Amino acid sequence: MPDIDAVGASEVGPSRHGPEFEFGQRLPPALLYRRCDPAELPFELCSELVDAPAPIGQERAVEALRFALRMRGTGYNVYALGASGTGRHEVIEELLRGKAEGEPVPPDWCYVNNFADPQRPRRLQLPAGRATGLAAAMKRLVEELRAALPAAFERDEYRARRDAIEQQFRQRSEETFGALQQRAAASKIALVRTPMGLALAPMHDGKVMPPEAFNHLPEAERNRLQHEIEALQKELEATVAQVPLWEREHRDAMQRLSREVTGFAIAHLMEELRDDYKDLPEVVHYLEEVERDIKENAEDFLAPPSAPDGAPPMPAPAIRDLEDARFRRYQVNVIVDNGGRQGAPVIYEDNPTHQTLVGRVQHLARFGALVTDFNLLAPGALHHANGGYLILDAQKLLAGNPGWASLKRALGSGQIRIETLEQMMSLASTIALEPEPIPLNVKVVLIGPPNLYYLLSTYDEDFADLFKIAADFEDRVARTPETTLLYARLICAMTRREGLRPLERVAVARVIEHAARLSGNADKLTTSVRAFLDLLRESDQLAADAGKAAVGEAEVQAAIDAQFRRADRVYRRLQEEIGRRTIRIETDGEAVGQINGLSVITLGNSAFGTPTRITARVRLGRGEVVDIEREVQLGGPLHSKGVLILSGFLGGRFGRERPLSLNASLVFEQSYGGVDGDSASAAELFTLLSALAEAPIAQRFAVTGSVDQRGQIQAIGGVNEKIEGFFDSCLETGFTGHQGVIIPASNVRHLMLRPDVVEAAEQGRFAIYPMDTVDQGLELLTGIPAGQPDVDGRYPSGTLNQRIAARLDAFAAKAADLARAAAGLGGRP
Amino acid sequence: MTGPVEGIVVTLDAASESRIAIDTAVQLAARTGAPLHGIFVEDQELLELAALPFARHVTFGTGAEAFTIENVELHLRAQAERARRELFTAARRHGVTCTFEVKRGTVGAAASASEHRLVIAGASSRPVAGYFRVEHRWWSSVGAAAGPLLISRALWTRPGAVAVLMQDRTAASARLLDAAARIAAAGDRTLLIICPPEVAGTEGVEKWIDDRVAGYGVRAQIEATPLEPAAIEERLGHLECRVLAVRADLAGAGGEEFRRLAERIACDMLIVR
Repeated sequence: MPDIDAVGASEVGPSRHGPEFEFGQRLPPALLYRRCDPAELPFELCSELVDAPAPIGQERAVEALRFALRMRGTGYNVYALGASGTGRHEVIEELLRGKAEGEPVPPDWCYVNNFADPQRPRRLQLPAGRATGLAAAMKRLVEELRAALPAAFERDEYRARRDAIEQQFRQRSEETFGALQQRAAASKIALVRTPMGLALAPMHDGKVMPPEAFNHLPEAERNRLQHEIEALQKELEATVAQVPLWEREHRDAMQRLSREVTGFAIAHLMEELRDDYKDLPEVVHYLEEVERDIKENAEDFLAPPSAPDGAPPMPAPAIRDLEDARFRRYQVNVIVDNGGRQGAPVIYEDNPTHQTLVGRVQHLARFGALVTDFNLLAPGALHHANGGYLILDAQKLLAGNPGWASLKRALGSGQIRIETLEQMMSLASTIALEPEPIPLNVKVVLIGPPNLYYLLSTYDEDFADLFKIAADFEDRVARTPETTLLYARLICAMTRREGLRPLERVAVARVIEHAARLSGNADKLTTSVRAFLDLLRESDQLAADAGKAAVGEAEVQAAIDAQFRRADRVYRRLQEEIGRRTIRIETDGEAVGQINGLSVITLGNSAFGTPTRITARVRLGRGEVVDIEREVQLGGPLHSKGVLILSGFLGGRFGRERPLSLNASLVFEQSYGGVDGDSASAAELFTLLSALAEAPIAQRFAVTGSVDQRGQIQAIGGVNEKIEGFFDSCLETGFTGHQGVIIPASNVRHLMLRPDVVEAAEQGRFAIYPMDTVDQGLELLTGIPAGQPDVDGRYPSGTLNQRIAARLDAFAAKAADLARAAAGLGGRP
Repeated sequence: MTGPVEGIVVTLDAASESRIAIDTAVQLAARTGAPLHGIFVEDQELLELAALPFARHVTFGTGAEAFTIENVELHLRAQAERARRELFTAARRHGVTCTFEVKRGTVGAAASASEHRLVIAGASSRPVAGYFRVEHRWWSSVGAAAGPLLISRALWTRPGAVAVLMQDRTAASARLLDAAARIAAAGDRTLLIICPPEVAGTEGVEKWIDDRVAGYGVRAQIEATPLEPAAIEERLGHLECRVLAVRADLAGAGGEEFRRLAERIACDMLIVR
């Protein structure tokens, strides 16, 4: 069994229509369903109407939104709260687009290489539409340089200058070492290449003199050779010490030459580019850095990449990949391109996560490793909405991924910082990109349910600072001739927008009646656009199936019935079980301490009412009313509260003159799930009083309503579903023509009952009775006058209250006797 | 070299550049199917130098330091291991079977392996200060080589013809032509036979040449040029020559003048006894 939701009061207040009924009497059928008179609709087909001008009944929310849009200060973001399906998205988007149209187009944003620190890519801001041009120009530049630079380095002028430098250094090297070698050779000493360097060795017959031969030399010759070798060695040391200096000079000279040649080759290309962007100093500065880098790394443009010495040759795709990688640093990664945009952006992000909001750092697999650079920075919704408006679903934003934290951080700092989740949470120890943050100027509109708004307001200390405006959407509007006509125009607008068939006047009237039913109030109309739209689409399909050009009342009714039928499997099963008496519900006869309560079961998007047998037993005790549901932890707090209130009523009415020496137990029979709400408290009180008075209750009634301690009956929710639920149960168990439901009088204005229920009421086969007090309900249920107390507080004989008081007196006397007996004083037998 | 090539030997040592020699040896072995053998020579002269009481050497990292036998042996072992690794890596890349040994002696002695084996040696010692090369050690191998000796200077893929300096129609010239034709065939290169006018003009010279190179399927051209070093150098300056093949006796007979020519030209030298 699903949880039973005995819904508590939702709409309490006096009827604006005045008392058109009498308490405790059958309600006239006209009050069971407030029709929409087609005569009030001044058209034949809804297509004759012009569209509704604005969202109906959302003046408060629209005003809040408009105010937020005017406010440019920090934190004037919006939380649009309201029930799902009330058209918040459409309203908000329409308002934002209207505002955004007249606002300036925000700039483009790019990421470019930071030549000083590639780990920290630089941002570039350009006027809208110029970023892609810069990206294309840089691509062209690289392509041109790949042709121009090799050509420049192939020219004879370059080769000649390079050869001259080579020759200069070759000459110096050869002359210096050669001179040393010659001086050594003159003394029969050779300069020998060793694995690590150079050595000087005495020679004999063109070979290094073996030690034996050296030792056989005369001592003077040995000394001479040794001294000469030592002297030459010092010279060699001094020469070798010069080698790194020569190498550096050589490198510098070649680098200078390379820079000069490169500078000359690229000068005109860079100049053209700078000229195109001379109005943008930031871009010009970037281009100067590019030029400097190209001059420093001209060799990248000269030779294709190759495998290191000794490594296997690289496959062609790998070479292409490496080749592309060499020039990636000159690319421009256009993060936001606002070229072609009219006005400020309005962006709706359907999947608001950290990555989709602030962007992400992507990676490429290269040679088994994941690599990244500024070209792999991808924008998020905040980038796209920067300078405009961003719409997000609050529930999706808060579901799991830390998108909420990222959004707050961006709004709080006024910057969009692309970083990985690991970086944001300080979990990463690897070196990662840290792109320069982009300034953020965006108005965020969160759309979410009211409870989430209240939770965030209570528990998130940043929320109030960042979302200063609440746009509270109504889920229903007052049903007046004006709003009725507006509704007709709204229906018309929807059919036009969706390309549906027009509705006949009677069909529109039926849709409006259904809107009242959906609002749970005959005086209100729901603002749930989604529910409306679904009904219109389904009616249109039925009209199409019937080959009709316009949608009639029959199609609308059939669509409503079909909607209910699609969701009523569990409901039908319950009703069947009632018919088979598997679930025992008495709809005829009388019983003491037993009553038909009514509850509403909500399953998914559907809700239905069903009767529940409530029983009470009383016995001698200490004044306790035991709520069995609560004892077994199936009763919710509101239900327990209701039971305690009825105990309060009992004590207030009957406990002033005598002790309440009873124990009573209350239970929802055959209830196997949780019970909550106080809408059964009146029924529970009636069955308890019936048990006390030993007065049978007519089982042809079902009762709903909550009760206060003074015995006043209060409104409850789901009254239509509850009545229909008991009606269907009577159908299953058999109509007697006397069955009916007793409801709070304050719920009468909520009645929008099903046509078959209304029809049964018109035919006198079923009845709805309003009650305002406990006594009215008791009289109806038992057929016995309740009785009013006299000045001494005594009730007239034969009345229900007198019987209850007498029973309680008997309990009190018995309890006193037992107390005396227990004290050894003796008592009445 | 007469008859089939039994194998290819590449000689390596601590003072020479090994990369080009290894590349040439591996490419030739892959194309001819001949087994490849590497010899790393632990230079006896270095060890003798290290045995001298005052031996010191100047390194490019740490300056002057004692040049001891232990130190030399340690470095020679390290160099030998590196040479072995480089050779095996290159051989594996080309699917060539390879063996390797370390020998103590002179570079020239290592070249005297077998007359049926082609010996390949690097031309240059490793440079000092980027340019200065202490000595051209390959020359010492010329006298010692028992069979054909290829002194490699450039990577095998460099284009160009195989030029043969053919002095006469003797058996020695036949061996030279045979070795040159093998190398031309292995590289799919033109064989350019340069003869002195008095040989080029003799009757039957073309048939004599055809008989010797026909089996290799190479394209042969004959041209008459005096075999003087100056004339040869001038002619080679106009040719795209990859390998210059000469007889050992011409190299020897040419003496210092031919040696200087050999040092000036940039192509590989094939010397056949």
